[in-house]
Amino acid sequence: YRDLHTFELQAPTRLIEWARGSRVCVAGYGQSDGNEILQLIPPPTLLTKETQGLCPERDFKVECGGFSERPVYSLKYVPDTSLLVTSGPPDSSLQVWQVSAEDSDVIKSVSPIATENGTGQSWAKIATISARAPWVLHGSRLDRVQITEVESRKNVYTAASRGSEELSGLAFLDCNTLLLCCATGRLCLADVRQPQSLVEAVSVPSAPCSERWCMGTRHGAQGLEPSSQPVARLSSRGLLTLTDLRKTSEFLALAKARVPSPGSGAEFLCISWAPALESCLAISGFDGTVHVYDTQSWDSSGKEVEPIFVHKGHAFGGAGGSGDPPLVTVHTWHLQKPRTLLSAASDGSLHVWDWVQPCGKC
Amino acid sequence: VSGVFCWGAGAGQDVGRSCILVSIAGKNVMLDCGMHMGYNDDRRFPDFSYITQNGRLTDFLDCVIISHFHLDHCGALPYFSEMVGYDGPIYMTHPTKAICPILLEDYRKITVDKKGETNFFTSQMIKDCMKKVVAVHLHQTVQVDEELEIKAYYAGHVLGAAMFQIKVGCESVVYTGDYNMTPDRHLGAAWIDKCRPDLLITESTYATTIRDSKRCRERDFLKKVHETVERGGKVLIPVFALGRAQELCILLETFWERMNLKAPIYFSTGLTEKANHYYKLFITWTNQKIRKTFVQRNMFEFKHIKAFDRAFADNPGPMVVFATPGMLHAGQSLQIFRKWAGNEKNMVIMPGYCVQGTVGHKILSGQRKLEMEGRQILEVKMQVEYMSFSAHADAKGIMQLIRQAEPRNVLLVHGEAKKMEFLKQKIEQEFHVSCYMPANGETTTILTNPCIPVDISLGLLKRETAIGPLPDAKKPKLMHGTLLMKDNSFRLVSPEQALKELGLAEHQLRFTCRVHIQDPRKEHETVLRVYNHLKGILKDYSVQHLPDGSITVESILIQATAHSEDQGTKVLLVSWTYQDEELGSYLTSLLKKGLPQSTP
Repeated sequence: YRDLHTFELQAPTRLIEWARGSRVCVAGYGQSDGNEILQLIPPPTLLTKETQGLCPERDFKVECGGFSERPVYSLKYVPDTSLLVTSGPPDSSLQVWQVSAEDSDVIKSVSPIATENGTGQSWAKIATISARAPWVLHGSRLDRVQITEVESRKNVYTAASRGSEELSGLAFLDCNTLLLCCATGRLCLADVRQPQSLVEAVSVPSAPCSERWCMGTRHGAQGLEPSSQPVARLSSRGLLTLTDLRKTSEFLALAKARVPSPGSGAEFLCISWAPALESCLAISGFDGTVHVYDTQSWDSSGKEVEPIFVHKGHAFGGAGGSGDPPLVTVHTWHLQKPRTLLSAASDGSLHVWDWVQPCGKC
Repeated sequence: VSGVFCWGAGAGQDVGRSCILVSIAGKNVMLDCGMHMGYNDDRRFPDFSYITQNGRLTDFLDCVIISHFHLDHCGALPYFSEMVGYDGPIYMTHPTKAICPILLEDYRKITVDKKGETNFFTSQMIKDCMKKVVAVHLHQTVQVDEELEIKAYYAGHVLGAAMFQIKVGCESVVYTGDYNMTPDRHLGAAWIDKCRPDLLITESTYATTIRDSKRCRERDFLKKVHETVERGGKVLIPVFALGRAQELCILLETFWERMNLKAPIYFSTGLTEKANHYYKLFITWTNQKIRKTFVQRNMFEFKHIKAFDRAFADNPGPMVVFATPGMLHAGQSLQIFRKWAGNEKNMVIMPGYCVQGTVGHKILSGQRKLEMEGRQILEVKMQVEYMSFSAHADAKGIMQLIRQAEPRNVLLVHGEAKKMEFLKQKIEQEFHVSCYMPANGETTTILTNPCIPVDISLGLLKRETAIGPLPDAKKPKLMHGTLLMKDNSFRLVSPEQALKELGLAEHQLRFTCRVHIQDPRKEHETVLRVYNHLKGILKDYSVQHLPDGSITVESILIQATAHSEDQGTKVLLVSWTYQDEELGSYLTSLLKKGLPQSTP
């Protein structure tokens, strides 16, 4: 490590979202009432590019907070507005919130975005963009994907139905292109301007037992054609696939990570690309660790790959021996500092760590 | 109106100094008397004009309580007692009483001698002020006067810091001062019992902080020290005699042992004596670990830490030195600093806050050229680091304390008002209590529900407990009786006994109402119709048709007579006692609606 800071949140979070002004947002996902949404100001050590020495201000500060009656499973800020959107069980409706940090430190609830709730609907996955207008892309199933204009609540797009599998993630590649990932591993590209068209990418290898998939797309790489960035998919068995969206009929790479089986549900599977490092990605959700990989050397053979770094901090932290070992619920990369990541675990811990590139690699 | 009035002459939207006035059941108490460390003029002292308007402070205030020795809680005390004028008692814990004057004197020296200020308290004033201090022990109930009592609880944070409970009759307030809910290497965590005060006044400055773990801070500290020593540099750690110094020593000793390091660590002698002395006096104020260390060996007989001699500062090679005073404003630490400042291999680590005007404060602000005595310029090439180990309660800690004490109301003292709305809502939602955040100078009134003890007559008690389910210790039981207030005593007796004692006769109230019904039939037929009608509707009640032609519904009497002028109209007389008012009114309105057409 070059640096490691550990913090303890009052309640564990399963999301870490970046907001304007280097703010970080976390939220509770407990089943009972009283979940908090917290917008945090990171300590100055994290805001500057260069890591300083013993800085007096080493703590996160809660800038503002809100109370959610539901567990918060997903949260996205709506760019260019002071709003954010959350989702969580028991249904696929979205809650809208107003953040006005200058006036008050309370994040206020604004009226929700309702959705039709059929049977078998779980919570909605969300993505936001402000291109033509502030939009939120949401849906819990492949046949329920829609884009709602946040301010007017008008529905501006509904995806054609190609099945009713549960979604594990969705993303805007640009203001017209959507990427939808199902829990089965199915990946679809859609164009907002052509609701009926849905292009499917190469399927993931089928497995003997059911496995769950999630995806990671590359944000933050400014000025690059979005579809030139490969999309990564991760399965609960540790399979990793990279797909170039310009050539969706084949895999760019196929590899296997050596990870334990995640046991209960694999609901915290998380994969993300490093915004400031070429071809590096991180995965978590199997245990108390976060793995960082360099994908440059990967091929399509599906062989096992070694991580270039493993963060084990969460596995050692906390009250020893009380119940289950902590499970990493989410991780994210720092937007500017190339090797800094933030990760959170089920015991409420929040780590910020900066790893050292092992010798011998570029 | 019974209440607790609270106004902050200092704290409350003003980070920097604490001074709160509480008025509880007619008693006036001042909580802390802090000095604002950021100002150089009169703004550093609280504005006491709020109180002096009422006359002499000594007459107005029943006592003053100081929570701990930090200057932002006691720095204005000599000014207050000697220059503004107060002769009443000042309460604080024993360690606070011992340490306060040292810090006050240090601060006075810096302000007057170094900065040449004139409107400041003198050394004599500090001494005179401390003569008014009454020291208290933890959990000891101290009677300030017949009605007012106070009790100190362990607060952690620094040596001798306490939270105070102030009680008058059955109304109480708890003031936390600065506290910490997580133990550290030399202090335990704050603790209070379920005292259920009417009001809990707590600092919330750090409520919005999510601290990084102590392990990380310590690890970084050790890394810095190690790096400096490895490259042959010298590390200076200016400390106040107690508390953090002890903690850092234990930390370094353990690290040195584990890493098998050879560089010497020194403690300046003045420090050793003073520290030893205080620790012997206040060993019960530290935590278990320290106590064990102290018992097994003399606290400063570390394997790797030795006593310092002035001459050692000139020795070549790496070393670590702990020296007083903590802000580099005078004495040995400043001497050492001057010797070592010019070498960039060396490092100075400031372990806490430094007052403006001190060398410590200057170098932490980034100054690298300092003017010393005799116009000499000192160039600072050594590395300057800051490491704060001082601990305050965060949001989680505040919630824990509220959960322990179970107050009925909470008052937050802090800097900016708007930034505490979230915490306020959080407290209100979780504990269902009211939460206040007054501004500096603002008065907050909290209404309390005092318990009034009342004697209940044995007969009444027996009678009431015989009715209904068995009494449950956890549930309140409603009883009926008559309250007699005579002189200053309250008694609850049965109504009969009250009447007897007061020589009054019991009166009965009876209501009668006439309801007109159209019915050409004979009276007794009308009565029958009414009886059947009522029997059909009032199935749960006892409806009876008596031989004399009247109907009773429970104890209500209904009789029918013909209207004197109009045979077609019958007049129903409905009569009931005060106790049956509800049923009587109901019956009347029911009958007024008329009888159903088809009746047998």
